[in-house]
Amino acid sequence: MTGVERVVWSPVGGTVTALADVPDPVFSQAMVGPGIAVEPRGGRADAVAPIDGTLTTVHAHAFVIAGDDGAAVLVHLGIDTVKQQGEGFTLHVVKGERVRAGQPVVGWDPDAVRAAGYAPIVPVIALDAQQEALRPVDAGRTVEVGDELFTWSG
Amino acid sequence: MADERAGRILAALGGAGNVVEIEGCITRLRCELEDGSVVDEAALKQAGAHGVMKAGSVVQVVVGPEADAIAEDIQDLL
Repeated sequence: MTGVERVVWSPVGGTVTALADVPDPVFSQAMVGPGIAVEPRGGRADAVAPIDGTLTTVHAHAFVIAGDDGAAVLVHLGIDTVKQQGEGFTLHVVKGERVRAGQPVVGWDPDAVRAAGYAPIVPVIALDAQQEALRPVDAGRTVEVGDELFTWSG
Repeated sequence: MADERAGRILAALGGAGNVVEIEGCITRLRCELEDGSVVDEAALKQAGAHGVMKAGSVVQVVVGPEADAIAEDIQDLL
């Protein structure tokens, strides 16, 4: 994988936020990998695939896509949203399906998540990557769905 | 090897008799235990856990993206 530089695209539109500010130690302490989060804009929308690849894990509130080189990206829609048991989340894909970057994966409503008492922030994690392999866009910046979120080299 | 890891994690959680419920959630095992105080954090980390979060009888073991598969392996041992 040496010399490869992947672009990871934003699964949602919103404000880029440092992973350290995510209210869940698994993400804020980068226990499963480094990355960046997006504070999503409200209103019902589709979260899209951040890379080309195969869906290796699919839950209503989170999914993992592994690229053909094995590099996998986790997208988690909100914090502790597993407790919502899929309510308000509409899956457009199944486990094992191949997707292209930008393809809709899950429909959801960040406002509804917030109203239910959960933080709708979306951590986007480069699983098992080294921190220095990532070059994220600056925190505080506004991104649209499908804009570049970080590059991942190595 | 996955089975061995599941067994080690289960042992560190106090064994099958201590597990009320266990489920995989993307990167972590969410475990509801009879007694959260017997959890052996050092053994969990030796078994590959990145981190352990305890809140009474509910213990979350961060194991990475294979959490769902490990949870299934542990279910088979219960």
